[in-house]
Amino acid sequence: MIELIHIQILSALMFCIGVYGVITRRSAILILMCVELMLNAVNINLIGFSAFRDFSQNQRIFGHVMIVFIITIAAVELALAIAIILRLYKNKSSVNVDEVDLMKW
Amino acid sequence: MGVNLAYFPPVICGISFILTVFFTRKAPLISSLISVFAILSSFILFIFILIDFLSPNLNSIDFSIDWIDVLDTRISWGILLDSLSVTMLGLITLVALLVQVYSISYMKGDSRFGWYFSVHSLFAAAMIAVVLVDNLLLMYFAWELVGLGSYLLIGFWYEKRAASEAAKKAFITTRIGDVALLIGIILIFKSTGTFNISSIFHIANNGGINENILTISTFLIFLGAMGKSAQFPFHVWLPDAMEGPTPVSALIHAATMVAAGVYLVARMMPLFSLAPYVLDFVVFIGLFTFIFGGTMAIVMHDIKRVLAYSTISHLGLMMLSLGFMGIASAIFHLIVHGVSKALLFLGAGSLMHEMEGETDIRNMGGLVNKMPITAITFIIGSVSLAGIIPLSGFFSKDEILLTVFEKGGILILFLTLIGAFLSSLYMFRLTFITFFGSLKSDNSKIGESPILMTLPLILLALLAIFMSALLLEISTFKGFIFFISGYKAHLNLLLIVFSSILSFVALILAWFIYIKDSKYLTDWFKLNMNCFYKLLLNKYYIDELYQYVINQIVLRFAQFIALFDRLVVNDIGVDKSSLSVKSLGLKLKFIQTGKMHGYAISMVIGFLILIFTWAIL
Amino acid sequence: MDLIKENILILTILLPLIGASLIFITPGHLNNIIKYISLVVSFITFIIVILIFIFYDINSGGVQLLWNWNWLSLKGAWPLGSEGISLNLGVDGISVMMVLLTGTVMLTGVMASWNIQSRNKDFFVLYFLLLAGVFGVFISYDMFFFFFFYELSVMPMFLLIGYWGSSSDFRTFIRTKEYAAMKLTLFLVAGSVLIWVAIIAIFVQAGLGTFNLLEIQKVVDDKFPLFFQQVNFLMIIIGFGILAGMWPFHTWSPDGHVAAPTSVSMVHAGVLMKLGAFGIIRIGMALLPEGANSLMPLLMILGCVNVIYGAFSALGQTDLKYVVGYSSVSHMGYVLMGLASMEHLGLTGAVYQMFSHGIMTALFFLAVGAIYHSMHTRDILILKGIIKKMPYASIFFVFAGLTSLGLPGLSGFAAEILIFLGVFKSYGSLGVLFGSLAVAGAGITAIYILRLVSKVFFGRPDQNINNILDTTKFENMAGIILVVLILFGGLYPLPFIDMITSGVTPILNNILGAL
Repeated sequence: MIELIHIQILSALMFCIGVYGVITRRSAILILMCVELMLNAVNINLIGFSAFRDFSQNQRIFGHVMIVFIITIAAVELALAIAIILRLYKNKSSVNVDEVDLMKW
Repeated sequence: MGVNLAYFPPVICGISFILTVFFTRKAPLISSLISVFAILSSFILFIFILIDFLSPNLNSIDFSIDWIDVLDTRISWGILLDSLSVTMLGLITLVALLVQVYSISYMKGDSRFGWYFSVHSLFAAAMIAVVLVDNLLLMYFAWELVGLGSYLLIGFWYEKRAASEAAKKAFITTRIGDVALLIGIILIFKSTGTFNISSIFHIANNGGINENILTISTFLIFLGAMGKSAQFPFHVWLPDAMEGPTPVSALIHAATMVAAGVYLVARMMPLFSLAPYVLDFVVFIGLFTFIFGGTMAIVMHDIKRVLAYSTISHLGLMMLSLGFMGIASAIFHLIVHGVSKALLFLGAGSLMHEMEGETDIRNMGGLVNKMPITAITFIIGSVSLAGIIPLSGFFSKDEILLTVFEKGGILILFLTLIGAFLSSLYMFRLTFITFFGSLKSDNSKIGESPILMTLPLILLALLAIFMSALLLEISTFKGFIFFISGYKAHLNLLLIVFSSILSFVALILAWFIYIKDSKYLTDWFKLNMNCFYKLLLNKYYIDELYQYVINQIVLRFAQFIALFDRLVVNDIGVDKSSLSVKSLGLKLKFIQTGKMHGYAISMVIGFLILIFTWAIL
Repeated sequence: MDLIKENILILTILLPLIGASLIFITPGHLNNIIKYISLVVSFITFIIVILIFIFYDINSGGVQLLWNWNWLSLKGAWPLGSEGISLNLGVDGISVMMVLLTGTVMLTGVMASWNIQSRNKDFFVLYFLLLAGVFGVFISYDMFFFFFFYELSVMPMFLLIGYWGSSSDFRTFIRTKEYAAMKLTLFLVAGSVLIWVAIIAIFVQAGLGTFNLLEIQKVVDDKFPLFFQQVNFLMIIIGFGILAGMWPFHTWSPDGHVAAPTSVSMVHAGVLMKLGAFGIIRIGMALLPEGANSLMPLLMILGCVNVIYGAFSALGQTDLKYVVGYSSVSHMGYVLMGLASMEHLGLTGAVYQMFSHGIMTALFFLAVGAIYHSMHTRDILILKGIIKKMPYASIFFVFAGLTSLGLPGLSGFAAEILIFLGVFKSYGSLGVLFGSLAVAGAGITAIYILRLVSKVFFGRPDQNINNILDTTKFENMAGIILVVLILFGGLYPLPFIDMITSGVTPILNNILGAL
């Protein structure tokens, strides 16, 4: 039987993997993928709570609303991020984020 | 009919002010007629009021207009009609009427002729309101408007730097007294809960006011009276106020406005009588000012300044009488002095009118033949003020001397007599130098002033002679002293003889010095009194002292505060703190390395710290 | 008529906004049309404001002419109750007076801006936005919209001063208009941060899920402990005190007044500074009575410092407009003292002083603006004998000066005397001390005003300046409106005083009842 705790563990694992990836990877694409991983971890968490906790119908809907929001935002963000990375590749012929520090002071 | 008419004089004059300011600006002559008409009708109303007031069955006035009404605090315009206010009403309307008639001729051709009469109306309305109103706060209301009228009239020729400075000086000096007055009034309000004068007296007589508060508040009220009545040390504004047109000096700075302080003390006498220390102070200030003013009047060369110092001195005499609770004698001297001094100022104005604004008495002399009416009326006025026997000035002075003798003892009487001697001396000096002696050649073409100017002079001179008839008992009217204070006047023959002798001595001394030009006496004075003379001529350097205090202390302090505000509060407090934020930002910006991993790690660390703090809490 | 009466309050906000939009769609080169549109709109607003004064029924008192619009309501788990955030409008006696003041200053301000040369389209748009905000603050009975309108009135100020203002050069240092605008905005925003924190704290603590002031007022005794009230009241008096020019947070105000163009100075010193004192009454004293009770002595001391310090600073200035700016600081001190007296007399006087000072200072800036416009300098040491050259402007200035030194018969005296009485009656013998200092402050005011009048207006004018422009027709009209109000308010203040008392009494009874 799957309980709330299993879903939470899954979500936490996915989130930690995502964080680890963001910190260690150099390739912008991989970092982007890790960010997606984190977002989806949150989604799983939210839907878990929404499904398993003893909420009223009104409150339950909030979890769903949030997920739809996050998915939308993730899609938009991805579109932007990919565009930025493409420009970066065109200019620098690399997607290594260590080489990009134009935004420092 | 009757006493209810008492509302009308201030209202009529106020309406005249509004009409002349807003509607007849293009027609100055109409303005002047409106103004004279207003004051004339006020004077006629005064006669009706007086008749009604003297009749035995007097009905009281129970009509008032609310000015402010907040919950249980109500401040309303009402009328307080007693012998004191009726007397003052008569004096004010009479002198104002004569002065305005005189001014029609005197101010002819001035570019602000209409405005002059507007302000006269404003002044008359305010001054009448001061003496009639039954509410201390509203008395202050009118009191300040009187100050405004004086300010506008002193500064009438504002193009002259001296006139605008004098106006400023008068307003600010009296304002300092007024600040004290207002505090005193509010203190009384704090302990009684009312501004109504008769209620306050009632509460005070029943011991409703704490003794200390009573002493402090009456002291503060007296400071206000000192400011308006130009008592030492607030006397400095009055001589400078002579920069205004001369009829203004006659009306405001001799007969009415400066009398407001005396009136205030007389009006508040039931409170003062409960504060013996303050009465002692009143005596001291009055006596000091009486002698002090007299000494300066002796040496001045400007005819208007001599009269101004004489006014200061005589106001001191009235205060002295009030200090001994001699209201009746003080008020009697107030009206006699008011009439005589108005006469003298108008006479001086008549001289100046013919001599193209000359005020220095050293350039006059021998004018008695050239301007006989002016000269004779002027001499009557000065003899009256000098206290020569049949004239009213003698009787009024004598009443005060009697009060002083009965209540104050021999030492104060002696000092008062010195003051009286000085007063006779400078009046004779002024008369002799101005009208007798040899005629200066420049003045040979001078003639008499026009009829509108001499008529008021004659009327005032008649009053100065016959005013003492007021002391007599005529049917129901039991004499002026009884009218005011309720006890009968009596005489002290010894005092009469002694003060008469003193005045004659002054007359003879003045004769020898200023007419005979006795070498012996003048040499003696020059030898022994030179430094004293210089001190007097410079008015004891009090103006210089005040100027020093204002320039070096008040203005310096203000500049210091302004500088403090700019350099400390603004530049250090505000600009420096904004700069420190800016410089902190300049330092902290190096945290932004631009390395993405740095950001990611710090985010994670920050998040973990938040989690742990939350867990611990 | 009933339709107007029911919706009259929202009209005061809508009319300036409509005016702003009308001007916004007018082509920028049609200068005259823009001016006449603004004149007409502000005149209609002025009439509406007078109608509010007439419609308000003094005898029944309380909050009247209520108007409500539900702006945001969410059913569900939100902390906002069923009402959510709604625009609640209503007026009590205090608001009526403030609205009357705003309407008057708005109309006269438009008349005084006839000479704006550049981009007057943008100027009037911002001017009307500013006034919509000010009206909104005075009539909102909802803390959220109170704050919303408050911010709306602060923001246009930055642009109005920064673009249309003027810099002053004092030989040794310069105060630029950009500096003044920036300082003003930062100060006011800092104040509004404190206010917003306090508002949210009150909202959360009340736990009613509504920002409605009238609802929250009912639960003050149960929900707000003493400490909570003290902390929040402190934030309120500092936050609103900044706007009211409270020492030591006053430095934005003289600089701001001086740098601003004439009409903006009029609105700014005349109305905007009153928002601060008004906020202290509306939010501080009404919602936090015990906090008010325990912290008022602090406000009294600061107010007293304001009076004396402002008066001396004004005496030390050499720039005509700075003198007026510091006199505003000094006079707002009287307002604070009146508020702090916690007496019916004092509080009534404080509100009346807000009204009277608003009118007076508008007249001051009108006159100074006209003088600067034609003489091109405001230096006291240079100007002299102006009354010959510019009689109207000079008379306006002298008149305003006499009002400010508390001459009886003008509205300033009626207001100040009530404040003095209130202060004297409060706090026992300390009240006497503060009251005496306040009266002495009026004496110092006389010194700096008369010194100015004697130096600048009297005397002989310089011969080499001949072609001096006098005030325009519209400026004269504006001045006359203000002069008439001052005279009326001084000679017969009873209608105004009654109006204010009806608003002040419930608030004060609430505080005194909380003891």
